[in-house]
Amino acid sequence: MIKLEHVGLRYGVGPEILSDVNFQLDPGSFHFLSGPSGAGKTSLMSLLYLGRRPTRGLLTMFGQNIGELNRQQISKLRQRIGVVFQDFRLLNHMSAFDNIALPLRINGESEKEIKANVEELMEWVGLGDHRYMLPNTMSGGQQQRVAIARAVITRPRLLLADEPTGNLDDEIGLRLMNLFDQLNRMGTTVVIATHNVALMEQFGYNRLILQDGAVRLMEPKKSIKQRLEGIF
Amino acid sequence: MFSHFFKKSKPRSLGVSKTKRRYDLPLEKGAGGLFLKLLIGMMSILAVLALAASFVLSAMTERWTSGLENRASIEIPAQDQNGKLLSTTEVEALVKEVEQFLKKHPAVLDIQVMSKEEITSLVSPWLGEDMTYDQIPLPGLISLRFREDVIFKPESLQVPLKNIAPQIRLDTHQAWLSQLLRFTGSLNFAALIVTFTIGITTIIAVAGAVQARMAIYHEELELLHLMGAGDRYISSQLQRYMFLTAFQGAIIGALIGGILLLLMGWISGKMDITLLPDFSLSAVQIISLCALPLLVGMLAMFTARYTVIQTLSKMP
Ligand SMILES: Nc1ncnc2c1ncn2[C@@H]1O[C@H](COP(=O)(O)OP(=O)(O)OP(=O)(O)O)[C@@H](O)[C@H]1O
Ligand SMILES: [Mg+2]
Repeated sequence: MIKLEHVGLRYGVGPEILSDVNFQLDPGSFHFLSGPSGAGKTSLMSLLYLGRRPTRGLLTMFGQNIGELNRQQISKLRQRIGVVFQDFRLLNHMSAFDNIALPLRINGESEKEIKANVEELMEWVGLGDHRYMLPNTMSGGQQQRVAIARAVITRPRLLLADEPTGNLDDEIGLRLMNLFDQLNRMGTTVVIATHNVALMEQFGYNRLILQDGAVRLMEPKKSIKQRLEGIF
Repeated sequence: MFSHFFKKSKPRSLGVSKTKRRYDLPLEKGAGGLFLKLLIGMMSILAVLALAASFVLSAMTERWTSGLENRASIEIPAQDQNGKLLSTTEVEALVKEVEQFLKKHPAVLDIQVMSKEEITSLVSPWLGEDMTYDQIPLPGLISLRFREDVIFKPESLQVPLKNIAPQIRLDTHQAWLSQLLRFTGSLNFAALIVTFTIGITTIIAVAGAVQARMAIYHEELELLHLMGAGDRYISSQLQRYMFLTAFQGAIIGALIGGILLLLMGWISGKMDITLLPDFSLSAVQIISLCALPLLVGMLAMFTARYTVIQTLSKMP
């Protein structure tokens, strides 16, 4: 699904934020991406959602070498990726509904289909009564849910979420993690960047740890429950 | 589940967007669209006037030249080259000779020799009705028409006519016609230049507006781009917006221009300027004036498309 070989990234003439990243994600896998603030998690994500090209190294996605694709092919790949941006990036001039509907419209779905799908998902993420609100009049948590709904509405093949539960209370955070989990069960490859150790421990998925410009893979620690089971 | 809490609360009106979404970019915000509409409106007024001027010029040329083409007239003065008066019979003999010559000429369609009465009525305003014309020798006048299907220069009659009698004058109307045509031609050219300049100005204005908007909404554009919106998806929205803006502006401009034309027609009608032809336009011309807004809209649309694609191609 995703393969990075000796990937490096720098902004302009600055230092290399990523210097030698090597890892491979299998289709249908679920990974957390963690690491200290400023380590480059968001930067790495931007490579994966094709917002940026690596300054060196080889990036392969959906079995295709990104360096060899033309604009149109890249657009097509992007349509198969859902992204929750750390700063949401909602369009403030249009309603929550239209924000969530946007990827479907880009993909050319019919308005009838769009209405049914968006309304159902909005209900599910607890925004059923806020359909026509403008994002900048919503709370941080509500905005985050709009951003998440927008990322998953197309049932993408790859879901990239950057701190998707940062502004959410535990209950709704869990609910959305379960949404990602369900999508994953349906075949979507998921990468979630987070600092939230409790969350990572609760969902025992593999972790990619980003530090000093490189990534290492860490098998999940056994959850407390599993450890207790081991003792008794 | 979470909506339970809010179910009873009334929908808020603040910060609520019920209007139908038309564009993914906030294109309808701000006064930029209004300025562009105004600019295009003014340009359209000018374009209507320039076009109408060019139509009127064509009509004028048409009127002045029709009836003169393929025609010439021959004057046989009642005086020879040395100023010696000729008798009426001498003049008549010359007229006969010229007529005979013309009749045999392959390019001549028909000949009309003006009768004495016709000539008298022509000169009477100057000489007075009660003049006895028998006393003064009258010149001979022949008007002739050439065949349209024979390529032939009327000037080539000059030499054989001079051979009959050197004082015979041939008037083919060519000299003043060609001057007139040069004059109206240059006016028409000026109108064309004006129209062309208006077109270029519209292109520059639209391209500038599109670029400004793409700079202002760079973040929104980038987001659409990252969601996999193709160049065509994005450009079609700006195209539609620019078409409508330009179209609306041009309709207003064309209407004002049309009213101005009617007013001018009315005033010139009042003044009874006979030199100008009717100010009324033909159906084709009216249609092309009505098509102007559509043309301006299309011009704006293609400009927008080109500009957007250019800008987008710089995104990764
Ligand atoms: N657009 C940019 N231009 C220049 N430098 C940038 C840009 N974006 C990020 N950086 C730099 O890259 C480094 C990594 O930033 P990044 O946002 O990827 O970290 P992060 O791991 O996501 O941090 P956090 O956990 O706080 O979100 C930082 O030092 C930052 O200053
Ligand atoms: Mg980050």
